[in-house]
Amino acid sequence: MGSMNLKEWVKTLTFYELLLGMKATLSHLLKYKPITLQYPHEKKQLPSNYRGMLALLRYDDGTEKCVGCDLCEAACPSRVIRVVSAEVPEEPAKRYSKEYYMDMTRCLFCGLCVKACPVDALGMTQEYEWAVYDKRQLHLNKQQLLAIGDRNFPVREKRLEFQHPNVAYFNVGFKEIPQKDVE
Amino acid sequence: MPTPSTTTETVTLTIDGQTATVPKGTLVIEAARQVGVMVPHFCYHPKLTPDANCRMCLVEIEKMPRLQTSCSTQATEGMVVKSSSSVQAQEARKMVLDFILANHPLDCPVCDQGGRCDLQDFSHEYTATSSRFQELKRVFPKEYFSPLIETQMNRCVQCMRCVRYCDQIMDVKALAPTGRGTLTEIKAFGAHELDCEFCGGCVQICPVGAITSRLSMYEFRPWMLKRTDSVCGYCGDGCQITFQTKDNALIEINSTQGSGRNNGDLCARGYFGYHVSEHPDRLTLPLIRKGDEFQSVQWEEALELVGQQLLDVKAKYGADAIGGLISGRCTNEDIYVFQKFMRGVVGTNRIDSSARYGHLNGVHALQRVQGTHRWSVSFEDIESADTLLLVGTNITETNPITGLKVKEAVKRRGAKLITIEALNPAIGSISNIVNLAQQHLGVKPTGFSTAILGLLKAVVEQSILDAELQGKAPAYFNAISARLQALSWDAIFAQTGLASDLFTEAAQVFGQGKKVVVLVGPGVLRSEGGFGMTMNLMDLLLITGKLTNPGCGLAPLAEENNDQGAFEMGGTGAVLPGGTSLGDPAVRENLSKAWGRPIPDTPGSSLPQLIEDAQQGKLKALFVVGENPLASLPPSSGIHSALEKLDFLVCQELFLTETAQKAHVVLPACSYAEKDGTFTNTEGHIQSVRTAIDMVGESRPDWEIFSALSVMMNNPMEYGDVKEIGKEIRNLLPGTRTLGPAPLPAQPDSSAIARYVTTDYQRDIAPRYQLPVNDAATDEITLQVSQSLFHSGKFSRKAKGLLQVEATGKIYLHPEEAARRGISDGDMVKVSNSLGEVLTPVGLRERIPQGVATFPEHFDEEIRQLLPYKVDPETQVPYYKLARVHLKKVVGS
Ligand code: SF4
Ligand code: SF4
Ligand code: SF4
Ligand code: SF4
Ligand code: SF4
Ligand code: FES
Repeated sequence: MGSMNLKEWVKTLTFYELLLGMKATLSHLLKYKPITLQYPHEKKQLPSNYRGMLALLRYDDGTEKCVGCDLCEAACPSRVIRVVSAEVPEEPAKRYSKEYYMDMTRCLFCGLCVKACPVDALGMTQEYEWAVYDKRQLHLNKQQLLAIGDRNFPVREKRLEFQHPNVAYFNVGFKEIPQKDVE
Repeated sequence: MPTPSTTTETVTLTIDGQTATVPKGTLVIEAARQVGVMVPHFCYHPKLTPDANCRMCLVEIEKMPRLQTSCSTQATEGMVVKSSSSVQAQEARKMVLDFILANHPLDCPVCDQGGRCDLQDFSHEYTATSSRFQELKRVFPKEYFSPLIETQMNRCVQCMRCVRYCDQIMDVKALAPTGRGTLTEIKAFGAHELDCEFCGGCVQICPVGAITSRLSMYEFRPWMLKRTDSVCGYCGDGCQITFQTKDNALIEINSTQGSGRNNGDLCARGYFGYHVSEHPDRLTLPLIRKGDEFQSVQWEEALELVGQQLLDVKAKYGADAIGGLISGRCTNEDIYVFQKFMRGVVGTNRIDSSARYGHLNGVHALQRVQGTHRWSVSFEDIESADTLLLVGTNITETNPITGLKVKEAVKRRGAKLITIEALNPAIGSISNIVNLAQQHLGVKPTGFSTAILGLLKAVVEQSILDAELQGKAPAYFNAISARLQALSWDAIFAQTGLASDLFTEAAQVFGQGKKVVVLVGPGVLRSEGGFGMTMNLMDLLLITGKLTNPGCGLAPLAEENNDQGAFEMGGTGAVLPGGTSLGDPAVRENLSKAWGRPIPDTPGSSLPQLIEDAQQGKLKALFVVGENPLASLPPSSGIHSALEKLDFLVCQELFLTETAQKAHVVLPACSYAEKDGTFTNTEGHIQSVRTAIDMVGESRPDWEIFSALSVMMNNPMEYGDVKEIGKEIRNLLPGTRTLGPAPLPAQPDSSAIARYVTTDYQRDIAPRYQLPVNDAATDEITLQVSQSLFHSGKFSRKAKGLLQVEATGKIYLHPEEAARRGISDGDMVKVSNSLGEVLTPVGLRERIPQGVATFPEHFDEEIRQLLPYKVDPETQVPYYKLARVHLKKVVGS
């Protein structure tokens, strides 16, 4: 006890530590500036590389970019994606994803699928408001994913074969060739 | 094969610091592989002769100028080879890759080869991330190639493996390079879409994705596939196949180079015929007849009904009023349990299997003369034979892979080929074995027996006889020569159109052979007098002293995948497991001790007897497993009325076949892709069948159904799994069930031969050495209903891939024959004889002899009504493949 000096006595009597702890609170009392975002009335400005909801994209002529290569499926660490690829009807030898599913309950938004895609058919949007009552609603099909892309990426790329002459024959269909027999 | 197998001399060389000792003449690339050094390559393939066109395999060899192609350089003593340790070689390979990639489309994302592509792998290995080339890539206009095989020539690295495979291995020559330099493109030979054997070999051997299967196109990525090694379920060759499945769906079939009896080669049925198991018509639930309709029921109900009915029939009419018929497509285990069920639980020996349709002729002939029920030769013996005799095989279409062994022997190892075939030497879309023949004796399908006698006569006249055996059994030799002398060459000429000197030449070639294999096919085994002809061929081998020589023997070809197993497992009434005789009380006693059940001592029955007894009302119930006699046998066999007379017909099937539609109960069985077990191939090689996909619907493996039925019938034969059955069979038949890479072929038993040449031959020598009566009217044509390369029985008609190659039946004629009758390709003709008349379109094929017409048996719904039916008096084999018919063009077609 005797070792407690005067300075400490004063601090104890004036609740100095308490005041110190309350400093931020007290200063806000005097100098009010709101920090909490009033979500959903207010929304945050997202960085441009924000990794939000995934989407499938289209070329400027409205055709789907995805060539059904399954590489996103292979790249995905949490098995979100399932691609069922096939020949484009009426355009034999051209490959596309007949069905495309993403189970977004499992997605960790790592963006590896986007990186893996050879034709930039996948994009990460800035959408994040995807709370649902039934998580089955997070099992998205191709049409849903394309719709997400459509509403998020109004500016679309030119068709691949028009971009690089060296890939002129990459995934091109041939009308004069008969379709592969399915079932 | 570039690796010679005859020499035992070895050389020792160093490759990347490792020492390898290899037989002299081995290529450096192979020697490197043996010590685990993988030299990158495109154009080299162990099956093909080296072409050294891609320069990818360059290595540095000390004391040699420049880099050498390791795929065409033979290893020599003391050679020092540097592959990955040579900077120079590595640089050169990078350069080669750069040149290839200069024109390569980098289609990998949409290329079915992506993930298992040599070019991808090497590009990774040599990290080619940039190119010195900026020029535009070559682009080939895409053309339609074929219904089953797709090409993308932009991806071709021009290694010519496909072209060489199709020529060297298949002898089809359907592919050809056109254009020069980088603009070389692989096309179908001729200006039409690919029309070939569709063996899929070019797809398998292409190192990149330039040739791919259209059937599985875009359905998979290689890393998604689960591999299951199994055995093909179509023909008796018993090829190793690997099912590639994705989520329980069959995606494609491969065969691994160097494995199985087929060494990685397949035919169209094996490579493209895999969709049968997944056909939407598969039965998924047991069906019970209610009036004219079938009702789906649960297994318990169906089994109870079958068990009760069988017991009722047995109680009322005796066990012998029940018969059984099982398909040679079932596994050994299925067939074994079936015959045990019929003999031990039902209590009758009245069972038969599809081995009866012809294979039994071969097996019985082998058993009778040399005392074995298996070949005394193997596929290896065929490859290393110096003389081969093919009789009525049409080998390309019936047993394509055995055919490859013959091609290997003739084309690569210089064997001499004698053919007695109903084929003309002619170039066609599929290979034609008689094109390779040194001595071709072309006859009509009715002329085989005369031609065999002609060859025997020439042999005797030339005295190409085994003096030692002649000394021991002079009576046998005299009996044969006397009978052959009684035949005149003129009569032989009249029936075969072949003069005596042709037979003499063939006999000389045959006599000079040291390693002689005689292959017998359905043309002999399934046509009238089949057993006699096979016996005569045994005589031929015997009197020339070949039969007992190592590497020599008779090889009857099995048409269905497990015909041989059906016989060995006791699937043919009078034969118990192991090929032993039912008539032998000691054998019966042993077996009933092992089974713990009495074995009835009543005689076994053949299918023709079952039919006859059913017609007479003596057979009341029939249990048909995987067989479809209504569609296999012609109406003249009486099968329709026989089945109608039955009180109870059970069919255990994959599909609602013609026979199943008449059944009272139909039980759904599993296909070979859904069960475990073993098949025995035509040379007696037992191989494992493994489960690749889940059982379809409620279908069950056949053995499981028999086992469940036995429980219902209060006489349980319980098995936990297939392995238990396999073990039981192995214990029962020691020595006959070696499951392994290369079983030793059976050895001819000298006591059996001695018995045959002293007394047994006398039994039927007179009818065998007579010319058949030839009563053909001049404008009649011999119709042969025969096997097509693209189908197998009626079963393969459920395979969508095969249907794309051949979907309907046509009557095929030689173009000149057709022209003479004013018929052209595609015309409708009326085919008629005393049994009926049928309308069918015509196709033309140069390989068909004049005076002959063929029709694929797989589409014979209509035409089989024209087929007369005869039963072999000795082996009870039903003959119904040949008919004499008139052809008339239908005007207005
Ligand atoms: S989204 Fe891209 S990576 Fe995925 S399948 Fe389509 S093309 Fe391939
Ligand atoms: S062949 Fe190989 S490298 Fe070429 S596109 Fe196909 S996977 Fe890619
Ligand atoms: S599939 Fe046809 S082209 Fe290809 S190797 Fe076989 S026979 Fe030749
Ligand atoms: S198609 Fe394939 S196997 Fe044939 S030459 Fe081209 S790369 Fe070689
Ligand atoms: S059908 Fe015969 S030859 Fe063809 S792959 Fe099957 S087992 Fe081999
Ligand atoms: S592999 Fe040797 S040159 Fe092609």
